[in-house]
Amino acid sequence: MKTHRFFAPVFTALFALSLHAAELNVFAAASLSDALKEIAKSYEPASGDKLRYNFAASSALARQIKEGAPADVFFSADEAKMDDLVKGNLIATDTRLSLLSNTLVIVVNVDGGAAIATPADLAKPSVGRIALAEPQTVPAGIYAKEYLQKAGLWKKVIDKVVPTENVRACLSAVEAGNADAGIVYKTDALISKKVKVAYEVTAAEGPKISYPLAVVRESKNADAARKFAAHLVTPEARAIFAKYGFLPAP
Amino acid sequence: MSAEAWQITWFTIGVATLSTLLILPFGVALAWLLARRDWPGKSIVETLVALPLVIPPVATGLVLLKLLGRRGLLGGWLEKTWGLEIVFTWRGVVIATAVMSFPLLVRTARVAFENVNPRLEQVARTLGSGPWRVFASVTLPLALRGLVAGALLAFARALGEFGATIMVAGYIPGQTATLSLSIYHLVQLGHDGEALGLLAVSVIIAFAAVWGSEWFLRRRTS
Amino acid sequence: MSVELQGVRLQLARFALAVNATLAGRITGIFGASGSGKTSLLEVIAGLRRPAAGVVRVDGVTLTDAPAKVFFRPERRGVGYVPQDGALFPHLSVRKNLLFGHGEKQIRPTGLNFDHVSEVLEIASLVDRRIETLSGGEKQRVALGRALLAAPRWLLLDEPLAGLDAPLRDRLLPYFVRVRDEFSIPMIYVTHSPDEVMALCDDVLLIEQGRVEYQGPPRKVFVPATGARYELSRGGLVR
Repeated sequence: MKTHRFFAPVFTALFALSLHAAELNVFAAASLSDALKEIAKSYEPASGDKLRYNFAASSALARQIKEGAPADVFFSADEAKMDDLVKGNLIATDTRLSLLSNTLVIVVNVDGGAAIATPADLAKPSVGRIALAEPQTVPAGIYAKEYLQKAGLWKKVIDKVVPTENVRACLSAVEAGNADAGIVYKTDALISKKVKVAYEVTAAEGPKISYPLAVVRESKNADAARKFAAHLVTPEARAIFAKYGFLPAP
Repeated sequence: MSAEAWQITWFTIGVATLSTLLILPFGVALAWLLARRDWPGKSIVETLVALPLVIPPVATGLVLLKLLGRRGLLGGWLEKTWGLEIVFTWRGVVIATAVMSFPLLVRTARVAFENVNPRLEQVARTLGSGPWRVFASVTLPLALRGLVAGALLAFARALGEFGATIMVAGYIPGQTATLSLSIYHLVQLGHDGEALGLLAVSVIIAFAAVWGSEWFLRRRTS
Repeated sequence: MSVELQGVRLQLARFALAVNATLAGRITGIFGASGSGKTSLLEVIAGLRRPAAGVVRVDGVTLTDAPAKVFFRPERRGVGYVPQDGALFPHLSVRKNLLFGHGEKQIRPTGLNFDHVSEVLEIASLVDRRIETLSGGEKQRVALGRALLAAPRWLLLDEPLAGLDAPLRDRLLPYFVRVRDEFSIPMIYVTHSPDEVMALCDDVLLIEQGRVEYQGPPRKVFVPATGARYELSRGGLVR
């Protein structure tokens, strides 16, 4: 009939469009912002898909996903957040893989920042405030606390801690001079011109840092999401991550 | 309520009270000037005073952060001269809440002064009283209820302040943790139950403050 | 004992007040329609407004001299002012209202005291009442008493009997006569009622659009009328 003949091409066109112009909501840890934005520059034209990034503390992102936010891909800065979502049956577990690692660094302001040669210097009275991402929830903060506890410094510095909402806010606090020192990822320190690394935490001293990646089970663009996740494992993407200072997963 | 919840509650009431006391003299003076005097640029002053009411609280907080940060225009000077740190301390909380509640005080107080018949002040002058005595014995007593209402409203606003406070003072348990900041933090942690407990406390205190304010406004001056 | 107004100019909404006059009567009336500038003129004399130009002199003392930048503030002029509705302080009792200006540094030491004034104005029984419980007539007498107890050199009254009905007005008029006779304080009495002018004033200024059109004895400009007792003569000055 006439209507049938009208709708068929329309449906085909829409179907084709949906195959080729997906909009992916990628919820990723704040520390990944620069690397992922650069990856998008080549991925979007190549795939035809559009990437909508939501960068925040992994804890905030996990909460949002639990509350039903429309995420397609979740790229967390620690395994615990991912485990939590898996427990809630929100992850397509066959897509989960641990992709990256990072290094913790102690940073100070380039301009007249505190004199810190060794981590123990954090306990000095001249260091008034130490910015950390919120140590109870944000991965960067949890890692930092783990490290400080391992180094026997946590109790000595706990009164100086200024918790921030995510690791980039932590970086800003040191950049603005509102904190004398901060613990962030090496990848964050590298992109900032206003802070310098006072001490780099070695793999032996520091906690095990692992960034897992997965597709969200209820994703409305599951195919496109899987395609993107697969892309992040390619040598091309890995090279970009390495450029920003990320390490491969432990 | 847990001991921690009590600490948070008292801290919040304390900073809100301090913040209100801080803005009271400036707010009342400015309200009087706006009610009784005219000058070139008056509308600019009115707009500036109203700004914290209209622009997003976090925007106000950002402005304050830049200004009062340790390398900020004002913050740097304060630290150098008096060793005073503002951001990420309870002082930051007081200043953020003071700035956010200031417009409410000024608006309410201004109306209170405008409701005092200027003729009464004029007659008092002709009876031999100088301007300060007129203010103390005529203007202030007649405007008092409105001023108290304004102070209570400012107090209620200070109690619930979040956006500017989190920018300027952040959430530091035991040091800058107000009721609203703590509720936000508890939700972040997933402890919704505790958050609801603090929410109930906030509502009760704010309700009492606003109800008191309305009561004062409704009573006519005797 | 005079109030001299020399070249007083003040821009009002629709016209300019421009007055040259010397007021020397015991009760001088200022008569004019509403909006003719009468209240503004009183405000200038009381120091509540500053004219653009001109000199105001009270009993020989220059209180306002616009070009020479001389200006005595209202509280230092010794000029009492009773505005149209009395303007009693609602938050104070009658007694506190009466005593508000009493005992302040008095410009002219007189025998004016609380008991005498209360007696003359017959307000002694009201002293502990609250303002809102007073009738219109009682409020006017209290306002008058309050102004007197501040021991002014001159008393300015702005339509004190406006808004009161005729019988009440008739009952209150004698109080002004008593004040004139008992306390010897010269008054300037603003009104738009010919009856009041004829009953009280020994001199009257007719004000129209901010200018003095006539100054002299009231009987020369007010004639008997039907309805009211007196009205403004339409045929010019009366012989």
